[in-house]
Amino acid sequence: MVLGLALATACGEPPGEDTEGSEGEGESADLAEDPQFIWAVTGADRQIHEDVARLWNENNPDQEVDIFFLAPTADEQRQAMFQDLQSQAGEFDVLGLDVIWTGEFADFGYVESLEDMRSEVEDVSLEGAIDSAQWQQELFALPYSSNGAFLYYRTDLIDEPPTTWDELYETGMEAAEEEDISAFVGQGDQYEGFVVSYLEKYWSAGGELFDEAQENSTFLEGDAAETALDFMIEGQESGFFAEGYDSMVEDDARALFQAGEAVYMRNWPYAIPLLEGEEGEESEVAGDFAVAPLPTFTGEGTTSALGGLNNAVSSLSENQDLAREFVLWAATDPEAQQILLDHSLPPTMLDLYDEADDPDFEMLGDILADAQARPPVPGYNSLSLEIQENLHPAFLGQEDPEAALEAVNDAAENALEQE
Amino acid sequence: MVSTAPVRAPARKPADTGLGERAMGRIFLAPSFAFMAVIALFPVFYAIGKSLYDIRGLRQEFIGFDNYARALTDSGFFNAVGNTFVFTVSSVSLEFVIGMVFALIMHQVFVGRGLTRAVILVPWVVPTAVAAQVWRYMFDHNPGFVNAVLGADINWLRDPAWSMVGIISADVWKTAPFVALLLLAGLQTIPEDYYEAAKVDGANALQRFWGITLPLLRPSIVVALLFRTVDALRMFDFAYVFAGHSNSLATLSVYAQRFLVAEPQLGYANALSTVTFVIVMLVGLAFISRMGRHMVGDVAPRKEKG
Repeated sequence: MVLGLALATACGEPPGEDTEGSEGEGESADLAEDPQFIWAVTGADRQIHEDVARLWNENNPDQEVDIFFLAPTADEQRQAMFQDLQSQAGEFDVLGLDVIWTGEFADFGYVESLEDMRSEVEDVSLEGAIDSAQWQQELFALPYSSNGAFLYYRTDLIDEPPTTWDELYETGMEAAEEEDISAFVGQGDQYEGFVVSYLEKYWSAGGELFDEAQENSTFLEGDAAETALDFMIEGQESGFFAEGYDSMVEDDARALFQAGEAVYMRNWPYAIPLLEGEEGEESEVAGDFAVAPLPTFTGEGTTSALGGLNNAVSSLSENQDLAREFVLWAATDPEAQQILLDHSLPPTMLDLYDEADDPDFEMLGDILADAQARPPVPGYNSLSLEIQENLHPAFLGQEDPEAALEAVNDAAENALEQE
Repeated sequence: MVSTAPVRAPARKPADTGLGERAMGRIFLAPSFAFMAVIALFPVFYAIGKSLYDIRGLRQEFIGFDNYARALTDSGFFNAVGNTFVFTVSSVSLEFVIGMVFALIMHQVFVGRGLTRAVILVPWVVPTAVAAQVWRYMFDHNPGFVNAVLGADINWLRDPAWSMVGIISADVWKTAPFVALLLLAGLQTIPEDYYEAAKVDGANALQRFWGITLPLLRPSIVVALLFRTVDALRMFDFAYVFAGHSNSLATLSVYAQRFLVAEPQLGYANALSTVTFVIVMLVGLAFISRMGRHMVGDVAPRKEKG
């Protein structure tokens, strides 16, 4: 439990709506008298997952599901699922996988191929979400929830949201100086969030980590890797990033922005209700902020890393047919996906975004349509750690940037070879 | 295990069994030995066995000592060894000196001594993971408590050298009281007579400390240093909370945990924990054999000196 607190800062996913009451981690939700199969899913946003499971149980009274809530932090979820699978316990039938784990679980033989269900989700789910659920062009999970980044900005200080990073830099610096606050807050600590922050700049400069077949690293092709890193180094040197950006995670950034201490913030959608001062929050910026897509280097389009969960079928499950049915249902049933939307957890079904009447949500739909999946290769976690290990010191001016980028390229090659 | 004191058979021989005292002793010992074997020995040997495999998910392959060979060429491993030793040597020395000063102060007779003894132990009672969170927060740039107090502008969390200073100070804060407690217990066993005799002979305070306190405190010092060193070599919480798996602070435990959880390569993780285990055991044995041989014998140290 105590370590749970410690680890809460160690993952790249945004804090869930109700992670504070995380006393329920590692427990069954008791949703069914005689559950036929178990769904292992994050303990963050547990109300949402419970509602989805209840809906299934109403429709399928003979084939009820029960939920096993894992810890709210990504590392612990992965560890708990590993333990279940590695020890051959096989308690879990459906696994709620973070978008970056697909390759690893597939490569380890933990999850079943779902390639034959591709036609059911194609053009139904977000393209990026489907990308994140496949490894070597084979589908191993189906989309369930999604997440994308917003650029939060202060409407009292900025008239129009910037479309390029340079514009963001200049307007941010100017307003920050006038107000004597920070220009930019976001995820700058040495963890998965930093990798996401870097990759969003990298992608928006036209970079692509791997070639189409996921066989070679193309990290250093073109100048995207350098452009992105240079922007961050310069931002750090010139004070564009707030003090302490280098140890800042989602909620640190949110707290500073909410206190009116920053002009811009990169964060997930969860911050909107808090910044509005809902749910008993005190906010200095209520009514004085808006959201926009993250800019790019060219001014064309938008970019965001894709978050969220995909559901996979455990290879140890004794109820695989039922598990497959459930996974497909959770991805494609409009009612189930609507539950996510109702709780402001971005769903993966495209239709829902078209029908949404909340302009922020409509914008999120556009963002997610262009969002990039971090490559779910088996060695993604090793690659992520190497990016952190090399680019973070380079960003702080402690290491040579060129050598750091070379090291990341080597790590990207290695991430593909781990079989 | 140190506590293998010989079991004395009951004074009266059981009348109706043909078992000798020795056999009875073995029978009585058997349950505890079995218990130890199951909870302590089995996992150790299981881990050593698994360290000889390359494990990828549900597949595994016997690779002999390749995992150990890999550790010997892994710069991350040596970095972790370096971090661990820097942390251990610095924190244990500081804790010993500060703990000794605390112990000497608490040993004096003054008003509020009982309260002081209780208060000084507070840091040690706080769970390490919680203490680490709190320290991390205080070292953080926002709101920057430590920098405000020191009037400095130091990047405590992300400058490799300063973050090491950070976790060492946090650890000293936390465990110096524990060392003080152990030493205080030792101080209380030294009879006042010796000091009075020394005073009569004209020894000054420093001479009394050097000639009486230190030698007679030796058993407590060895225990305190042994506990702290072994503990510091396994340190996980502070390093992980301050910097995650970052090489800047990764100790042996953090590095092994990285391959258990973050980059699951269970064979390599087991090899790393085995190496950590061996290092800790060797250091522990070196302590006992060099500084406190009499501690593990069955002759009480005081008697040895006659």
